[in-house]
Amino acid sequence: MDDAAGIIAVMAKDTSEAARQERASRPLPRRGLERLDLMLLCLEALDLNGGEAMVWLSEHLGYGPLFPNRVELWKRRCHNPLRRICRRGEVPAPETDALIRILCVMADRLYPMLRSLLSSSDPEEMAQERWDLFQRRLADLIRERMNPRRSGVQKLLDPQEGAGQRLQLVQGLSLCAGNGGFERIKASLMDAVA
Amino acid sequence: MIQSAAMKQRLVFDQLSCRLQVDGLPDVSIGQSGTALGIITGWQLQWVGRPLLEGRREHLQALMQVVLPYARHLISGVRRDFSVAGEPVDIGPHPEGGHRLLLRSSQPDTPPLEMRLDDAELADLVRVLDLLRLDPRLQLPLKVPDPEPLGPRELMERIPLHRRLTAPLGGAAVLAVSAALVLLLPPPARPPLPSPAVPASQESVPGSPR
Repeated sequence: MDDAAGIIAVMAKDTSEAARQERASRPLPRRGLERLDLMLLCLEALDLNGGEAMVWLSEHLGYGPLFPNRVELWKRRCHNPLRRICRRGEVPAPETDALIRILCVMADRLYPMLRSLLSSSDPEEMAQERWDLFQRRLADLIRERMNPRRSGVQKLLDPQEGAGQRLQLVQGLSLCAGNGGFERIKASLMDAVA
Repeated sequence: MIQSAAMKQRLVFDQLSCRLQVDGLPDVSIGQSGTALGIITGWQLQWVGRPLLEGRREHLQALMQVVLPYARHLISGVRRDFSVAGEPVDIGPHPEGGHRLLLRSSQPDTPPLEMRLDDAELADLVRVLDLLRLDPRLQLPLKVPDPEPLGPRELMERIPLHRRLTAPLGGAAVLAVSAALVLLLPPPARPPLPSPAVPASQESVPGSPR
């Protein structure tokens, strides 16, 4: 009886391990690519040299063979369906994993800024100024790169209607910062479409 | 006794609003070295301007088992309560904004402690828990559920119930009103009965002069 239970437990473990590996090798859905690119865009809004930092981090983390130059990095991000110039097709899992790692490391570096946006202990005026600055920079980047005819872009640009989505993006970045956030954000980007 | 004191390990993880301190010993029975922490003897979580939390390994694991899945769901925009049956920690959205962390003491007659955290404090808590579970010096398994992608049903929870029900209820109402209006329409007039057949001799022949 114990042997049978042990065999069942081992089989269940094998099945869950296989499911985990299968999930890890699955490419991100379009909605996940959209959110990943928007989160990278938020980091660029927080860090004026964010684009350069991404390229540097890509080399520093050993993703040179995947993204040999900034154009290759940009081409992967252009799979976001909200982009002005949108690429079709899937991005292979190793490349999206590399982008997620870059996101987590950048969020870790910029964590103090993310935290200051989320903190309720600072005076209201100061917090509002920070959000206004972030929103302005993000809106500039969105106007420059995204397709303004898409309703998702219009909503994100709207000061009132897009506030919730911007807060969710910043909160997501704060919760995925560092090594521990990789699995969390990857699982979230793999979510089904509601 | 001297050897035990020398082997005692302390891991400290700092963030702006909180500090997690874990005390323990290496488990020499399985050959762990002096810098490893294989047995947790106690832990403390200090918050700025809040009561000190402390407990045993089980409490730390219970804290991880609810806080980390809650954070994972928040990234997807799903805000719901997390608790494990029989465990002393609950977490969920606070009705007035922020997050509600509820800690139940194992001491009798001690009321549960409720803490309200803002988004920054929650992120700090998640970071110290991440730093602890990924620290190579911690060499004991802390069971934490693996983050999983959410299904459509779970994602629906982020949309308030009244908004979820608006479309189907509106559709049903429109259908009912349309059906009622159709029922109010008068039935179409009956077509006139066919006239009796005319004898063939009286029929005019096409093309013949009248």
